[in-house]
Amino acid sequence: MMASSRHGVKATLRGAFQHIQGEKWQPLEQQFRSLRLTQSRTTGRRCMSTETSLTERQSFRAAREFDLDNLASQLKTVKHARAVPVSPSYFSRSPRFNDRYLGLEKLMRMYGNLPTVPAADAGRVAWMSLADIKQAWGESVKATDYANCLIILKRLHQIHPDLKPPEVTRALDEFKRDIQAFDNEPSPILIDRYGRALGVGKRKSSTARAFVVEGDGQVLVNGKTLANYFGRVHDRESAVWALHATDRMDKYNVWARVEGGGTTGQAEALTLAIAKALMAHEPALKPALRRAGCVTRDPRTVERKKHGRPKARKGPTWVKR
Amino acid sequence: MSASKCLRCLVRPSPTTLPVSVPQHVPKNIAPFSTTGAKAGQNPKPAPSVPKNPNALQPYRSGKKMTLSKFKKNKVIDRGKAPLPGERKAWRKRISLSNDNALPVPWLTQMRPGDMADSGNVAKVFSLPAGLQDQLRACEAFKPTQSWNMFRTPSVLVRNETVDVMGRMQQAAGENKTARLVLTGDKFTGKSLMLLQAMAHAYLNEWIVIHVPDAQELTTASTEYAPIPGTDPVQYMQPNYVLKLIQNFRKANEAVLSKTYTATAHPELPQNITVNTPLLNLCQTAKEPEGAWVVFRALWNELMAKNVPRPPILFTLDGLAHIMKMSDYRSPSFELIHSHDLAFVRHFTELLAGNTSFPGGGAVIAATSRSNAPRVPSMELVLAQREAEQAPRGAAEVPQPDPFFRGYDKRVESVLRSVDVVRVNGASKPEARSLMEYWAASGLLRDTVDEKLVTEKWALGGNGVLGEMERAALMTMRI
Repeated sequence: MMASSRHGVKATLRGAFQHIQGEKWQPLEQQFRSLRLTQSRTTGRRCMSTETSLTERQSFRAAREFDLDNLASQLKTVKHARAVPVSPSYFSRSPRFNDRYLGLEKLMRMYGNLPTVPAADAGRVAWMSLADIKQAWGESVKATDYANCLIILKRLHQIHPDLKPPEVTRALDEFKRDIQAFDNEPSPILIDRYGRALGVGKRKSSTARAFVVEGDGQVLVNGKTLANYFGRVHDRESAVWALHATDRMDKYNVWARVEGGGTTGQAEALTLAIAKALMAHEPALKPALRRAGCVTRDPRTVERKKHGRPKARKGPTWVKR
Repeated sequence: MSASKCLRCLVRPSPTTLPVSVPQHVPKNIAPFSTTGAKAGQNPKPAPSVPKNPNALQPYRSGKKMTLSKFKKNKVIDRGKAPLPGERKAWRKRISLSNDNALPVPWLTQMRPGDMADSGNVAKVFSLPAGLQDQLRACEAFKPTQSWNMFRTPSVLVRNETVDVMGRMQQAAGENKTARLVLTGDKFTGKSLMLLQAMAHAYLNEWIVIHVPDAQELTTASTEYAPIPGTDPVQYMQPNYVLKLIQNFRKANEAVLSKTYTATAHPELPQNITVNTPLLNLCQTAKEPEGAWVVFRALWNELMAKNVPRPPILFTLDGLAHIMKMSDYRSPSFELIHSHDLAFVRHFTELLAGNTSFPGGGAVIAATSRSNAPRVPSMELVLAQREAEQAPRGAAEVPQPDPFFRGYDKRVESVLRSVDVVRVNGASKPEARSLMEYWAASGLLRDTVDEKLVTEKWALGGNGVLGEMERAALMTMRI
């Protein structure tokens, strides 16, 4: 692969001329000249490499393009030249990661002085985790290297978006996960022409939809009053907890549909639904609602049963024989 | 933790630990122990044998013991004296009307005769006068489920529905007619309390009140019954129940009954009752279940007697559904008896249907119940129909019977066909606020009663259902 590429050919040629001239290293210009001399080799002149004639100096031209097909026959190149790897980290255990890491460091050196935005404004990005990197690139990567790499990534990500060079963006993209969950912006809840805001909340296996309008504190859940729908006072209180915690009980009316689950789940699904709809009316209430525990969905659900066990975790009964 | 002995006592040698307390004159030659009682010369006499009490504690040898039986024997735990039969129920059913720990409410005024019919008194709380309390207690108007025991004095809130019901009663009494009302509404909305208010209004206005505190006692075959001879179709009397009712009735209506006189003589009674005897005396003749039904019939005839001055009468019943179904009683041919074939119940249903009416005017009020009530499809249907018919401007659609359902009862429909249905709803916000201020003044609601709190409890109580508000505000423990 390497020999067939243009770069590979150059390397091969370099090796060939080293062999001819018995020197280890030559500057690039000399190499070009020597390439020209090879044409004059047919005229019998040899060892002209150190001499420069006047005519040559005057008529300095770029080298002709290599005729790759006939080159091998024209030059007595080594048949099986050892290809020099492009990547300096080719012989390390994790060349892919290392290359990118070095690339990031280089970018950091180049663009580290560009103005940045605060980390909060840069936008959240789901970077590939260490496990993801190991999996995707098939290399074992040290956690320390990954952590250092992540620091650079985050610093580069903070570069002001208007000034961020495209190469930085490209380099960062390689470290992003395929699915960027943070890009999924929830669509804002709008208040319709009747003044209703629809909030949806879930808890356990219950789902609640609450229409919240400005009013005087009436609550209807599935067409029933709060007392008719929830037998337990605690459930009633948790259903309207969002309104209670923000002192908005007498400012809004709620009309809600709830389905699935039991009474507790339904009541707490309602909490979330009403809180979301309330935030559509008054976005400034979000911190207060968060303090009241009405913003985050409780992710706990029933744990699945496992085979070999009577329940999710319960061990089988001990039997003597 | 305080030490059981003070430190100074520990420093000083305590008198109990002094060697002085050991008797010094014990002869030294006596062995400190003896192997047998006989050899021990100075062995004290055995204690006089006391009769063995099996419950007395046996001395136990300490230490490990061999288990002789396969299973552990159950320990006998002394639980104290068990309550006597009926004691638990009496405790459960007791009614206490006052609580000395509750604060007296300074602005509370005693209820006067016209207060509950006055629409200016809506959303006001009135306390019941002591005499009225006794009357209501005598006719069992208070229920153990109502929370009278939390407040200093029993008080009631005047609501829109109250004024409505009292107005209808007043109007009917004024026109010498009988108002026929059925109170219905959601659970805990205060239907029984509305009955109590009607009774209070009647007592204060010197009506005669007959109250059936729980209709299920009449039809669940829990009191004795017997066919009334000479009736066709056969009707049944319930002498024990009627005896209790007459006694309560006499106690509660003593003042009015002593001013109301018999119109005819009653030679059939054990004591001869002549014309112009106070009805109180007539009631006092009921002493045994045997003659109770005769006395009741005489009393009923007197109450329904025409052409004599009779005060308005209020006949109330709680738990209407129970008398609108087949009773649990059996006829001699072992068929279920319809509740309307019970003679006492029939008096009520005839009044409710409008077939009979009180001579001096009055009201028949029945309250439905949501907590202990059998399903009676006919009653539900007819009440819903009546409610729709009475709705202003014919707003509601009149529900139709299900053509594929055969559980309807013609007799029930005929009774309820023309009653007025009063729906007891949740309280309005001003009413709720007034009540909560009363709670706060009684020291039960320890919060500032403002718009927010009222709305919150109003919503938690299912849009103003008073019982639920009480549960949410007073019965929930707050720490």
